[in-house]
Amino acid sequence: MRQSNTYIIIFTLITTVFVGGVLAVASLLLGPRQAISIEYDTKSQILSAVMTITKKDDVLGIYDKRIESLVVNNKGEEIKTDSKGQPLIAEKVDVAKNYKLKPEERMFPVFKYVSEKDSTQIEAYILPVYGNGLWDKIWGFIALDNKLETVKGVSFGHKSETPGLGARISDDPVISERYVGKKIYDDKGELVSVNMVKGEKGLPLDTHHVDGMSGATMTGNGVNKMLKDYLDCYESYFEKVKSQNVAGL
Amino acid sequence: MELVSIGIKAVFVENMIFAYFLGMCSYLAVSKKVSTAIGLGTAVIFVLTIIVPANWMVQEYILKESALAWISPQFEGVNLEFLQFIMFIAIIAAIVQLVEMVVEKVSPSLYGSLGIFLPLIAVNCAILGGALFMVQRDYTLAEATVFGFGSGVGWLMAIVALAAIREKLKYSNVPDGLKGLGLTMIITGLMGIAFKSFIGIAM
Amino acid sequence: MSTEAVEEKIVKKVSEPLLSKRRKKLVKDPLNEDNPITVQVLGICSALAITIKMEPTIIMGLAVIFTVMFSNLIISVIRDFIPNRIRIIVQLAVVATFVTLVSELLKAYNYPMFKVLGAFVGLIITNCIVMGRLEAFAMGNKPYDSMLDGLGSGLGYAWIILAVSFFREFLGSGSILNFKVFEALGIPYVNNGLMVDSIGAFMILAIIIWIQRIKTGYVEQ
Repeated sequence: MRQSNTYIIIFTLITTVFVGGVLAVASLLLGPRQAISIEYDTKSQILSAVMTITKKDDVLGIYDKRIESLVVNNKGEEIKTDSKGQPLIAEKVDVAKNYKLKPEERMFPVFKYVSEKDSTQIEAYILPVYGNGLWDKIWGFIALDNKLETVKGVSFGHKSETPGLGARISDDPVISERYVGKKIYDDKGELVSVNMVKGEKGLPLDTHHVDGMSGATMTGNGVNKMLKDYLDCYESYFEKVKSQNVAGL
Repeated sequence: MELVSIGIKAVFVENMIFAYFLGMCSYLAVSKKVSTAIGLGTAVIFVLTIIVPANWMVQEYILKESALAWISPQFEGVNLEFLQFIMFIAIIAAIVQLVEMVVEKVSPSLYGSLGIFLPLIAVNCAILGGALFMVQRDYTLAEATVFGFGSGVGWLMAIVALAAIREKLKYSNVPDGLKGLGLTMIITGLMGIAFKSFIGIAM
Repeated sequence: MSTEAVEEKIVKKVSEPLLSKRRKKLVKDPLNEDNPITVQVLGICSALAITIKMEPTIIMGLAVIFTVMFSNLIISVIRDFIPNRIRIIVQLAVVATFVTLVSELLKAYNYPMFKVLGAFVGLIITNCIVMGRLEAFAMGNKPYDSMLDGLGSGLGYAWIILAVSFFREFLGSGSILNFKVFEALGIPYVNNGLMVDSIGAFMILAIIIWIQRIKTGYVEQ
């Protein structure tokens, strides 16, 4: 009996329905909780460019209070709806997916970090960056001051850089601290970004360079390219904001 | 260019065995003779090249969020990703069976050499691993196919090389405790170092 | 008289203590003499790739213990109903279900770890230990025993990968559970890149196997 085709088919059907049912229920029950986890993760990544986040912090609360977000294109114009006419949410913009498109077609989220007391006072602009490291993708956020010239902080993430070497971009707080206070424009007003040098000598460097990571030059090159690429894409937006600021004065 | 780079990376730099330890069970169990190693390796290439694109289609047109929208716009937003594991493994098992039957009908000689290895493959981590990595890395269909094939080739190279070394090792005087598994691990590690030297050619 | 004796026997059989000697053996054997990794050569696949740090390794170990215990239980409960011809796929379906549950739970309650482990949670499905225990034990034994057997195999697997990850994190990153040991002690330590690499895992595992086999006297032919 147990070997007959009918029995096998019935058994398979029952198993499929049962297993599918169990998984569907689990996925439904856990769905909301997963959404919160993912939201928490994204928002703490964004905030980590301007502050050190500990487990006790109320990330979602801080985020609601201090971040205003918008989406721009590479001409610096704000875009409010996606291709299907749905309203855009900056936090939901998938930087990785946009990376595969041409810069003209990409959407670039901007997160404005506003002052705690006065929400019209912008303290920093946090921008996502994305690119290739040595092994796989790397990404991060760079925070610029309200004049859009000085780096206020960076936070990087990576998929599979070499642990202990390239992976230091996310594990080692020393690396991101090095970027603080550096300038992205040179004296002539040219956007030069901030570059990591080869080697880790601890020598004093000018305002456009930071010390490298020994043994991880390739990852460093990836980080440099990533920062330059994305800052270039945001340049028109920077210009726009600056001219508005001037006009406002 | 991108495709060549993915292929080379899959064969050498991100070799399934040396970088991710995938397919270790059969790698250790079937690497005692070169001829059987070649048989299993070929079967793995064969199956990976079929399964990675097959699972790509399943992921793209059935499982992904809003993937079912091609049937009717009503399904916009339906996300079946929680069925990913079970679908992938079912498809792998089904395709392996299918391939076995087709090969048996079409080419009995090929079946003679590949046949016994095919059932082993359904539970080979390298196959499921290939499918899951393909999703994680967001490949396109062409990239997925190249990645599947490349991973298979890398796996074949690794197992054949190990089998050749183990054939020679039979005549060596090895400390008792290291015999078999222990020494195989060390050799795999050393081979891994050699494969690491391909890092430089990442394009 | 004779019926009484029979009854006594039955009672005795039923009241086998919850953790009898035989059952303890089910749990204990896979820890050492019959270890799934070092002796049976199973389940090395997915596990070693995540042993760079101890934290993900602990999660992975727990996930495997959970999966192998409950898959063993379920398969053992329905073992008399499974048609022989499709038993592998039924086993795979049950395992895949539990692995999906683990993955969904992880995504909901520990998202950072979910990101670290990535595809490797899914690869528990093809972890040969799980399939091996289902095929070799659960298909022919009672549910409770099967669960204990699963627990034993899972623990045997977990302690080995934990040992590997301890050495890899300690030597490779100079830390234990993300606590920078050498920094705290003030000893300058240059991280050993080999340990962070997959190669380090092979070497450490080989040494663990060697030591264990010297102790047990097991020789592979």
